[in-house]
Amino acid sequence: MNEELKKKYHAKYTAAKQKGVKFWPDIIYKDLLVSFALFILLIGLAAFVGVAAEPKADPNDTAYIPRPEWYFLFLFEALKFVPGAIEWVGTALIPGIAVLALIALPFLDKNPSRYWKNRKIAISVMSVIVLGIVGLTIRAVITTPEQEETTLAGSIAEQVVQGQDLYSIYCAECHQPEGEGGEVVGVEGLEGTFIKPISSQDEMWTRTDQTLFNIIDMGQQDLGMPPYGLGYGGELQRAEIESIVTFMRYTWDERAEIPEDAIVGIPALVEGEVPSYEVHISAVAKRYCVSCHREGKENNEYLMGSYDEILNTGINAGKNVIAGDPDASYLMQTLHRQTVIGSDSNEIGAMPPSKDLKTEYIDMFARWIEAGMPETAAEAAALSTVAAPAEETAEP
Amino acid sequence: MFEKIFQWLDERLGLEAIYGAVLDRKVPKVNWWFTLGSASLFLFVMQGITGIFLTMYYVPSPDKAYDSIQYIMNGVAFGWLIRGIHHWGASLMVLIVFLHMLRTFFYGAYKYPREITWLTGSLLLLLTLGMGFTGYLLPWNQRAYWATTVGTEIAGTVPGIGDFILRALRGGSDLSAVTLARFFSAHIWLLPLGIVLLISVHMYLIIRLGISNVPGEDE
Ligand code: HEC
Ligand code: HEC
Ligand code: HEM
Repeated sequence: MNEELKKKYHAKYTAAKQKGVKFWPDIIYKDLLVSFALFILLIGLAAFVGVAAEPKADPNDTAYIPRPEWYFLFLFEALKFVPGAIEWVGTALIPGIAVLALIALPFLDKNPSRYWKNRKIAISVMSVIVLGIVGLTIRAVITTPEQEETTLAGSIAEQVVQGQDLYSIYCAECHQPEGEGGEVVGVEGLEGTFIKPISSQDEMWTRTDQTLFNIIDMGQQDLGMPPYGLGYGGELQRAEIESIVTFMRYTWDERAEIPEDAIVGIPALVEGEVPSYEVHISAVAKRYCVSCHREGKENNEYLMGSYDEILNTGINAGKNVIAGDPDASYLMQTLHRQTVIGSDSNEIGAMPPSKDLKTEYIDMFARWIEAGMPETAAEAAALSTVAAPAEETAEP
Repeated sequence: MFEKIFQWLDERLGLEAIYGAVLDRKVPKVNWWFTLGSASLFLFVMQGITGIFLTMYYVPSPDKAYDSIQYIMNGVAFGWLIRGIHHWGASLMVLIVFLHMLRTFFYGAYKYPREITWLTGSLLLLLTLGMGFTGYLLPWNQRAYWATTVGTEIAGTVPGIGDFILRALRGGSDLSAVTLARFFSAHIWLLPLGIVLLISVHMYLIIRLGISNVPGEDE
């Protein structure tokens, strides 16, 4: 810029100042107003949207889809258009040039005009870049697949509940529902092995949380304990294993006091009350049956994870539960440890294979089948000859 | 009484002169787009204040980071609010700083005599992005861990010195406790220090040169 243009600028600017306003208070008040609005916005976002909970970092979970902060998404997206062999053009060359151009802009753009109509090139280039960034960001948001929901257990109580569920599914078939161990029955490869209790005080006093975590994470291959950590070929995330450990500690260790809201009881029945799938059967099945009666286990294809599955799966589907006739239902016969010959003329063993289900739970199954397998609590209440206890207390 | 104290201080500190130079000066009449710069400053100050509170409970180690954030969210009085403001403030700051840059660009405010103001500003934008990148790892959750893994991998593809950059960022070949310590240190010391220095120069220039006017058709 030559001296003449500089002089012209200074003259114009002085004139503009003359016609202008005082920094204090005219400008400051606008600034404060905007800052205050942003402050309110931030408090609103913090209070009503909050910060999304995320599971703890798990270096073994390589299936996790990386998601950078939204303002880096356009870079990620742009890289998808660069062929692998010249990746460095997209990762280093172009961003490098862009950054240098940004910093050096005043020295690259020699046009002295400041009004937009006289700077068509600069304005067009910048507009294209900004639209490109916005477009790429939108594209990235649309094309990134949703992360699979992982249930996050935050508080101790939530962890205990989650750990209980995971334990029932993954561990109970060998270690038994209460961790008492004993002879393994109905598990391929370990048939007849004796497992020592893992819920004893001996176990709890001699095993730290870290040790328990490692045993579950890495397994004890030589003893028959499979590994569960993702890093060792298992299917549990670190957070899930931590929940199992928390569950074990708070449920079995006499020194640890279990939080009130973490006790996952199976509600007892009163005389004349009909149990429902929703409240009673699902809880018992989850604790005592699902560990074997789920996908990928040997169980005559009988799954017990949902209401429909209990009614309609299994190679003896239709005979397992017969509405109104508990005595003829295979499910009841196996619980009573009677010999049952299935449709493929193979014998179905007693259920659960290793030891009797508590009589109150056997009775629960019997009453449920007798009443025709109601699904919801409301359906069950309609069939009951007495109101369910929960509803009694709910009445004023 | 106050008069006396003020005079005593003014004689030594030159308060009147500062008031005259900083606050009581004429500037061109401008529009609302010109508030974006002060909004950026405000957000930086907010990040600083909330960030300092967060460091009181945050522990920068892979074993403890996640739990310490969990504790901030559930255990510390108003911890959720402080973290919420810091979390959203970071995003908002990037957005506002970027808009502020666009404003100065479209008004041609980077031209004579404000070239250095633009130069420091562009560095401020980069440092703000750096704050976002380093801060993102600190909660040590899945999102943080994998975004940083990929982010540093990208830096590693620079021809020739890529491997060096990758190792310098991660403090080794993998993401580890060293990486977290490094990012934390950069996030609370190095980058904020750079930002504060640059903001000082930026502000000095703005006061010295005055805010630009909205360009007229003949400019
Ligand atoms: C396929 C059967 C099987 C399954 C399923 C299984 N374990 Fe094990 N587990 C074993 C065997 C066998 C041992 C060796 C114990 C022994 O020798 O008594 C063992 C040992 C252990 C021990 C170590 C006992 C000690 O102190 O040495 C713990 C703790 C344990 N298992 C927990 C779990 C948990 C938690 C799960 C569920 C995630 C699980 N196990 C699932 C078979 C199994
Ligand atoms: C340790 C694993 C294990 C547990 C726990 C278990 N089962 Fe089974 N269940 C099996 C196996 C294996 C079969 C296949 C028949 C056999 O080999 O005995 C089976 C078969 C059945 C069948 C026959 C299904 C058909 O269509 O042929 C019923 C009914 C049944 N189980 C009910 C239950 C109930 C109810 C529970 C919970 C109280 C339960 N089981 C717990 C392993 C288990
Ligand atoms: C330019 C200003 C700043 C920006 C843009 C920024 C950005 C960020 C971001 C994006 C995170 C991740 C937050 C989350 O996802 O929850 C973060 C976390 C954090 N920042 Fe900052 N920050 C800034 C200033 C500061 C300062 C000045 C300090 C302290 C002196 C600080 C301390 C922390 C701490 C301790 C965390 C971890 C807490 C958490 O993740 O919630 N920050 N920051």
